[in-house]
Formats: sequence, C-alpha cells, structure tokens
Amino acid sequence: MTKNIPIKSDPNTDIACRTPDMEERSLLRKVIDRIADRCRSRSLFILHYCTGCGAIELPPTITSRFDSERLGIQPMVTPRQADILLITGYLSIKTLKRVILTYEQMSAPKYVIGMGSCTINGGMYWHSYATIKRLQEYMPVDMYMAGCMPRPEAIQQGFLQLIDNIDKGKANAWKEYYYQYDKYLGNQQALFGPDWHTPTDVIAEARHYDLFSDNTIGEHTALLAKFASKYVTLQHKEIVK
Amino acid sequence: MSQQLPEVLASVFKKIPNLVFKEQTARRLRVELRPDALPALLELLKGRAGYLHLSAISCVDWPENDEFELVYHLWSYEIKTLVSAHIYIPKKPGRYISVYDIYTPAAFFERDIHEMFGVYFEGSPDMEPFILTEWSGPPPMLKSFSSLGYVEETFKWEQYSPDWLKEIEANGGSIVE
Amino acid sequence: MRPENYQPVEHPSSEEYELYFGPNHPGIEGNYALKVRLTGDEIVGIKADGGYLHRGFEKIMEDRLWIQNVALVPRICVPDPPPMEETYARAVEMIGGLEVPERAQWIRAMILEMSRICGHLFILGGTAAPIGQYSNMFWGITDRDYFLDLFEALTGARVYHMFITPGGVRRDIPDGFLDRLTHILDYLEARLPEYDDLFFNNPVFQKRAEGIGAITQEQALDWGVTGPNVRACGLALDVRRDDPYLIYDKLEFDIPTETAGDVLARSLVRRSELIESIKILRQIVQRLPQIKGPIRCNLPNPLAWNLPKGDAYARTEAQKGELAFYAVSTGGAKPWRVHVRGPSSMHAVQVLEKLCLGGRIEDIALIMFSLDACPPEVDR
Repeated sequence: MTKNIPIKSDPNTDIACRTPDMEERSLLRKVIDRIADRCRSRSLFILHYCTGCGAIELPPTITSRFDSERLGIQPMVTPRQADILLITGYLSIKTLKRVILTYEQMSAPKYVIGMGSCTINGGMYWHSYATIKRLQEYMPVDMYMAGCMPRPEAIQQGFLQLIDNIDKGKANAWKEYYYQYDKYLGNQQALFGPDWHTPTDVIAEARHYDLFSDNTIGEHTALLAKFASKYVTLQHKEIVK
Repeated sequence: MSQQLPEVLASVFKKIPNLVFKEQTARRLRVELRPDALPALLELLKGRAGYLHLSAISCVDWPENDEFELVYHLWSYEIKTLVSAHIYIPKKPGRYISVYDIYTPAAFFERDIHEMFGVYFEGSPDMEPFILTEWSGPPPMLKSFSSLGYVEETFKWEQYSPDWLKEIEANGGSIVE
Repeated sequence: MRPENYQPVEHPSSEEYELYFGPNHPGIEGNYALKVRLTGDEIVGIKADGGYLHRGFEKIMEDRLWIQNVALVPRICVPDPPPMEETYARAVEMIGGLEVPERAQWIRAMILEMSRICGHLFILGGTAAPIGQYSNMFWGITDRDYFLDLFEALTGARVYHMFITPGGVRRDIPDGFLDRLTHILDYLEARLPEYDDLFFNNPVFQKRAEGIGAITQEQALDWGVTGPNVRACGLALDVRRDDPYLIYDKLEFDIPTETAGDVLARSLVRRSELIESIKILRQIVQRLPQIKGPIRCNLPNPLAWNLPKGDAYARTEAQKGELAFYAVSTGGAKPWRVHVRGPSSMHAVQVLEKLCLGGRIEDIALIMFSLDACPPEVDR
C-alpha cells in the first residue's frame, strides 16, 4: 500500500517509532534495520504465562536437556519486557480476555505463537462450550505448531523458523492488529459482548505510529465511543464512516 | 450379601426410616433414602461410625423424571467401606439443604453443583460462581443444554482446502459429515 | 494509553489494598488466580478464583463413546496423567464387570509408579523455585525427562499416553525395557544424595520452610486433605493400603509420614515417597517377566459397545492425593454422567485459603507448590 512519508516534522513524534514505507528507506536506514532484526531474533523473551495444558512441555524445552537458552530464548515474567506470547494449548474464554489484555500491553514488535492443535481448529476440545476454536480470529498469529502437544524438539524447530522469519523481516503480524483492528475487535465483541473494551487505546497508537488503515475503525470500534474519556480516543466520533 | 455389615453400620441404618441399601462390590455400599433423612444419616455416620471423609458430592440430571440425583460418597478410614448415599430432589424448586456444618469439603462441591446444574443449597457459605464467572448462559451440565449446538452457533471453523481434498472433490466426492 | 492522557485515579485512603495474585504469575502453579487483600505484607483476606482452565470435560465426555473418552481423560491432570486413565478404566470395568488380566495389572501399576516419580520430581523443583533455588528445578525436570523417554519407548507419547484402556493396556512392553528401567532407577537412587545436599539438607530451605503452612491432624481430617499432605501430618492414610486396587496388595511398601505438617514436612514426605516408588518398581521389574498372559480382556466392538446399566465410584492414589471418578451408565454407548473428583479440589481452594490467611504474601507461592495444588483438576 502506498503511503506518503510526512514532510512536516512533528515535535512529539519519536524518530524511531515512525515506520515509513519499506522501499523508500535510505540505505543507512536499511542497514540499521537489518542489524536490528538480526540482533532482535537472537534474543527473544517468552512471556511465562502457562495458558493451557500444553505448558507441561515448556519446562523441558527451557531447562538443561533441550536448552532454549542457547537460541537466546528464555522466560520473562512481565509482558512489557517480553517479545513472544506463547499460547500453550487451548484457551478458555475466561483466559482469552486476560491474554488479549496481556497482548495489548506488550511492546512492539511482538510475536504470537500458537502451540498445539487447539489453537488451530479447536483440537481435542472442539465441542466444548468453554474454549475458543481459532486463535487468529482474536489476534494475529505468527506461527502455529501442530501437535498434542508438540515435542520439545518440535517447539525448538518452530522457534528456529520464527528466528529465521524475524531475521528476514517477514514476521510483521503485529502490525496487522493495528491495520485490521476493527475485525479483531468485532470477533472479540462477538464472544464477550458489545461492552468489551480494553484500557489500551489501540486506535490512537495506530495513528501515532502510522499504522492506521481503512480497516482500523469501523462499525465495531464505534461501540467503543461510549467508553471514550480522556484516556480513550475522542476523535473517533468525527471519523466514523 | 457376601460379607456381614459391620455392627455399627447396621445400627446406623436401622435408625433411618425408608432406607434401602445394597452391597455392590467389596468395600462399596449403595444406600437410597429420602431427601429429608439425609442430614440425619450423615450426622450418624460421622458421629457413630467414624465416616470422617466426604470424598465427593455428585449430581446427575434425569430429565425424564424431572429430578436431580445427588450422591454423597463417604469413606471411613476404620471400617474401610465407601457408602454412597443417593437422594432424588425435584427439579422445581431445585433447592436442598447444605451439609457444610457436618462436612467442610461439601462447600466446594455444592458451589460446583450450583453453577453447573442450578441446584441451590441453603446454608452453604458461598454460592457465587467459581469457574463460570463470565458465563451468561444456562447451567451447562443440564441435559437440555447442548454443547455442540452452542459451539456451532458461536464459533466459526477453520476452512481447509488441501490438495488431496481438491482431488477428491474434483472426482465428485466430499467429506462425510 | 497516551502519556498526555494519563491521570492518576483517586482511591479513598485505607490501610488495605487488594492485589490480584493473578493468572499470569510465576508463583502460581498453572493458570489460577487469588484475590488477596493486604496490609503491608500481611494477608487479611484471600479468595481463590479459578476457571481459567475450564474445558467442560464432564459435558464433552457425555458426547463421546466410552472408548473415545480414553483420549480425553489424561488431559484432566497435566503433570500426572496415568492415574486419570486408570481410574476411568476401572470405573468402566466396575460397571461392565470386566476382568483385567494379571499381566495388564502389573504393567498398569508400573506406569502409575513411574508417573508418581515424575510428578514428585516436578513438584519438588516447583517448591524450590519460588524461594530462588532454581538449580533444583532444572535437575528435577531433567531427571523427569529420562522417565518420559521410557514412557515414549513404552507408549509412544511423552506426556499424554492414552495407553490404559478399559480391559487392560494397549500393548505389551518392548524388549529391553525392564533393563532400561532398572538403569534409570539406579541412576535416580544415586542422585538422591545430591538432591539432599542441594535442597533437603540445605539450611536455607529448612529455615525458610519450617513452620510455614502447618496443618494439624484435626484440620487435615476436617478439610478433606489427602495424599502426601495428610501423610505429612502424621496420619498414614493411603488409598493403596486402605482401598487396594490393581496388585498393590501383593507388593511390599511403607507409608512414610512426618509429624510437623508444614512445607518442610510435605517435601520430606515426597522425597520418602520417591524411595518407596523406586522400591515398588524394583519389585515389579523382578516379578513381571514371570507373569505371562494376555494384556487385554476380550472386549466387544468398541464402536458399538453398550455397557450395562449401573454406576461405579473408582478411587486411586494419584501423585497429588485421592482421585476419584463417578461414572453412570444407562445402558447406552455413551456415558450418562462422569464426575471427576480431583485431589486438588480441596487443596487449591479451601485449604490454600485457610493456610494463607494470616500469613505473608511471600509465603503464598511456597504454600501453593508444597500443597501441590494443580488448577487443571479443579477447573476440569
């Protein structure tokens, strides 16, 4: 999609946060981005949140026998400092709310891995009223690992694939959350009710970091207007189609 | 009966009117009685026969008779026989008395049965939902609630179109539902 | 939230504040939450909040055939699946009147004891991690992995085996398996003194864990505490002794107890149970080659199998405590009702609340791991 790089300089905008069109970067910028991607892929922190029954194969992967730390991957307790959100296994509807809140708290760039078959199409609990069936309806997913659950070697192969994707600059699914926020919010509201809202102001972030697209706001985000306050974007009312 | 009932159990059962018991296998005894007699049976078992351990309270839904069956499983460490006391309560009003004052573990099971089946236990310390705090539908364990039906309405499935399926469909076949 | 939009929210001043010891927390075993009210570091109110792992097991088991539930049942308890399979199989056998051949019973007992060792190694590491002794966690999980290799050789899967079916087990043991098992048992027995030096005789752990979360004998019987937790109070209660199932009445083993009932006593009981399980496994390894016979009794076509009417309550000593399944059949191909009573139903909710109240916030993680309160069994 074509975008114009803003010509005027906004004193409140951080240079590092602005994401101009990839092809129009200067050569120096491309080299720095390449180095940054390479370094970032070698040091990923997983958020230590055991969301489902797949979490039992996570300690063997991280500890001495299969040792993910040689790949640079180790667990981290706070979402603010984590890169990867590992959805280990199924997600019950109650946990999905907390996972979405956690996902929005993580700082970009962030990666979601759906581990186990339950994130792909419901898995073993496909006829359960309490679990979700497709993870990618609620947040953008970078990688799926099939299995019930996947062996530690399979998990590490998935990590290597993710590291490769980040290295090549292909793991940009986190931007999709901003570009398609209306669709994700619509799916979330279909599950949790029309009053669902989070404290994170995704629309303003999208506008600020230049990740705003035509699909960011729509009929579902219009329902957020009643929660508008100083903390949530007020200009929504003018821009609703 | 293959073995004699212990003295103390036999004397307890004599005290409860309309009680029917049969021995199922070794160390398993099934008792059926009227709902108003159950607290007395539990107190006698705990006080006289040493049945200190309430293992579980189960609830079974019988829609043809419009009633719930509550089963209280009790274990004694001395007599080493499990007594399962079955009572039947009508679905309307679906209320029963709590045995929390006799057995403390009952609070967990009564709370669980309340949110899953809708049975209200009077006198139980906490009847708030524990697991289904964000559920707004009917009590899910009732036979009238279909889990598969709920899933079909609420969720969408992943659509697969792998090559092998395309070949089958090109030849006129499809997936068997 | 944009920084320019930030405004602090006004709370009325009070001495207490409410903290959500929430689901995303390394001090909680699994995905579970506690609402804690604190004055400073002391807990004045606590309420457990579960349901984050709810899958509606009991409901979805009613929609599947009896044999299809074998695939579903191990997933109820995540660290220790074989007792779940065995208890479900026994409940079905009690209703159907099936007789399990002797060789299958010995193989089942072997799997249960191996799983008990795995679970204990896992939770001993978990008890050490909240107090900062991470090496114990690394050792425990790696040693457990050798047993998972054995499970993989026997059943094909590391964690969820789906090997114990109603009527027997699915396959016989492969050649050389008993030698491998003996080798791993020797290795573990040689390792235990190292665990002692690192953890059990470590004065840091002993000082930290003594007196925390103490349960008296009357409280244990009153609250329905089972498993190693009640044995740490001095009561030698064990379902394998009181209500014997499989071939436990033919084996020789002790029931280790401690008297103090606190975190240290529970950890020491688990260590003693490791030794007892190794003893049981050695007896099984010695006797299993002499027991010949089928490994499964004759079952009708499992896809068209109608069990007779009836109900059954099967109890097992799982690694965490007393596990029970109540199954009701109305003569159909699918269960009418299956009720799962996990051992953590008591430990994670009422016992945890009662022990943490009046304590300090740093002890919550230690108490929860030492009680082995496993949330998937509570939420099912």
